[in-house]
Amino acid sequence: MKVIKITAVWCSACLIMNKRWKEIEKDYDVETISYDLDFDEDEVKEYEVGEKLPVFIFLDGDKEIGRLIGEKSLEEIKKYIEELN
Amino acid sequence: MVYLDYSATTPVDERVIESYAKACRDFVGNPNSLHKIGVEARLVIEASTRQIADLLGVKSSEIIYTSGASESNNTAIKGICLKYQNRGKRIITTELEHSSVIAPLNYLTKQGFDVDFVKLDDKGRVDLDDLERLMGDDVVLVTISSVNSEVGIKQPMKEISQIVRKYKKCFLHSDMTQSIGKEKVDLSLVDLASLSGQKFFGMKGIGALIKKENIVIEPLIHGGKSTTIYRSGTPMLPLIVSLAKAIRLAYDDFAEKQNHIEKIHNHLINELKQLDVDINSNEYSINHIVNFSLRGIKSETMLHALEEDEVYISTQTACSTGDYSLAVYAVTKDEKRSASSMRVSISYLTTLEEIDLFIDSLSKNIKKLGELK
Repeated sequence: MKVIKITAVWCSACLIMNKRWKEIEKDYDVETISYDLDFDEDEVKEYEVGEKLPVFIFLDGDKEIGRLIGEKSLEEIKKYIEELN
Repeated sequence: MVYLDYSATTPVDERVIESYAKACRDFVGNPNSLHKIGVEARLVIEASTRQIADLLGVKSSEIIYTSGASESNNTAIKGICLKYQNRGKRIITTELEHSSVIAPLNYLTKQGFDVDFVKLDDKGRVDLDDLERLMGDDVVLVTISSVNSEVGIKQPMKEISQIVRKYKKCFLHSDMTQSIGKEKVDLSLVDLASLSGQKFFGMKGIGALIKKENIVIEPLIHGGKSTTIYRSGTPMLPLIVSLAKAIRLAYDDFAEKQNHIEKIHNHLINELKQLDVDINSNEYSINHIVNFSLRGIKSETMLHALEEDEVYISTQTACSTGDYSLAVYAVTKDEKRSASSMRVSISYLTTLEEIDLFIDSLSKNIKKLGELK
């Protein structure tokens, strides 16, 4: 599954989630494309990021099938991915 | 105008401007030059540094001048971690830190460092048991702000210091931007502390990193010796003179200023309690900062409505592209409150009349914007 990860360098929740996401990448077959909210403005524009970071957008091909927003526990992320599968 | 955003920045005290202007006029030499006017300039810097050191209870050699708190935080965090990475690559911090702490930590994770976030209790204070649990011989740095800028939560620095001190190879840094100049601080508790002049009526563009004398760090800016080998560049004499003045003024008549701020704070809290808002600051918040949440009104909408009445407060946000505040969530565990928080920050200049004008405008706009829902 392809996942667009949108974070910012100044965001503590992003820092926390980066670490958890590395665990996810070990256990699941995910291809992560990382964008920085400030440095990759053009790429991020099309994803309509709301008020809260980080944002994980799950894609089936090019179609968005789910979105995780903000800080989530490792268990919550796993549960969400398994429900999508 | 009613200015209630003193934690964002303060107006510069006229006496500070005067000291800056006088230093610009009177001392034209480069303090690193060997001729007479260079030596005169160097002596002025040394005198100002001694004054700052005495006021803060540190040694002159422990002061590194910077452009402000962001540079101080970056210098401390990257400087320690890059220098001592052979000791360990783990760092401990909190979710209440300023972006100028989080961003260098983010940078360091890309260099192989690992960052752990210590739990906070239900009042937003560091959970000391969790800190004990997280500590270990591989922790090279603990960085925790003494006072959070959004909700004003004051951390138990003495207890934190006692825990960190058990680990001889670990350093303790504190972003004291919201403490220094606003409250008495004990810098012996930490190895490094950041401060910014603009938070206590000083000039923008000058701050300092206080670093214990025996600690060596990797500089961010390499070059000549300047006032220290840890931050190169021609010494900014007028700004240094102005910083000494600002710190001295901040601690003049300190007890009276604190009493005044307490009186203003209590009045503000009492008035806010009468309105349709939730107060997020708690008994551990400093009196200078009062954070509250609106019910069903976007904080940015309110900010602009208040602006129409020339009332200026802030919507302080972290980890957000809009109104959502992670700091408020950390303290309240309430999504709605976190999405609609506002911060009032006061100083010794704030009057009861200004608070009343703010409350009148807030009350009027709550009613007006509430009707538009």
